Amino acid sequence: MEFTALFLAVTTVMLVVWRGPRSLALTLFAVVLIASVATYLHHATDTLKLSF
Amino acid sequence: MTRSLAVTLNALSLYAVALVLTAAFAAQLLLHELPCPLCLLQRTQFAVLAVGPILNIRFGPRPSHYALSLLAAVAGAAFSTRQVLLHIMPGDAGYGTALFGYHYYTLALIGFVAAIILLAAMLLFDRQFGPDGEPAVAPPAFAAVAVWLVIGLTALNVTSTLLECGFGACAEDPVVYELLKRGG
Repeated sequence: MEFTALFLAVTTVMLVVWRGPRSLALTLFAVVLIASVATYLHHATDTLKLSF
Repeated sequence: MTRSLAVTLNALSLYAVALVLTAAFAAQLLLHELPCPLCLLQRTQFAVLAVGPILNIRFGPRPSHYALSLLAAVAGAAFSTRQVLLHIMPGDAGYGTALFGYHYYTLALIGFVAAIILLAAMLLFDRQFGPDGEPAVAPPAFAAVAVWLVIGLTALNVTSTLLECGFGACAEDPVVYELLKRGG
């Protein structure tokens, strides 16, 4: 679900960049980047299924 | 480098991002390999990478727009490096199929590093930035097509991840589409 939200957020940022005000686009970009890093840190603790 | 040439190169970079997103979809659908959470995260970073070029096409090239893409590329490189390191032990078969001898996350790392180098190279050309008072030029049609192509592919990923992960947390090692499994 978190990735659906992330892709939806990126799509929204792109649409705002293309059609909306620049300042809002930059703010949303920052939110998406922070959300990406937060998602990464969350999944960095995933259990690994090593194949050897 | 003139503004129009810079806009053209930015449009070409969007086609490159579109190619990466299409290739990821092709691997997912043709090889029936569902992307893992880290793989999806790298995919999002390729999409985020496209925000800078879209800004450049709409508002004209600015160093701050390239900086946004640089931040996205550095984050993407960090995410893919993490996955490369997860599978670096001798004997580890890696995750997914290897393409041209490299797994997707290794190719992603190469792609992000290439993006960083290309973005830095673009920043070397000052003339593209021009004076602030310069009137905005309508983006060429092929640039507009590139923008909508990338937006469309990113939107397709919304549907794809919803089908794969469902409404809960995405599986660490996904093998089935959660939403289709529940429906069937």
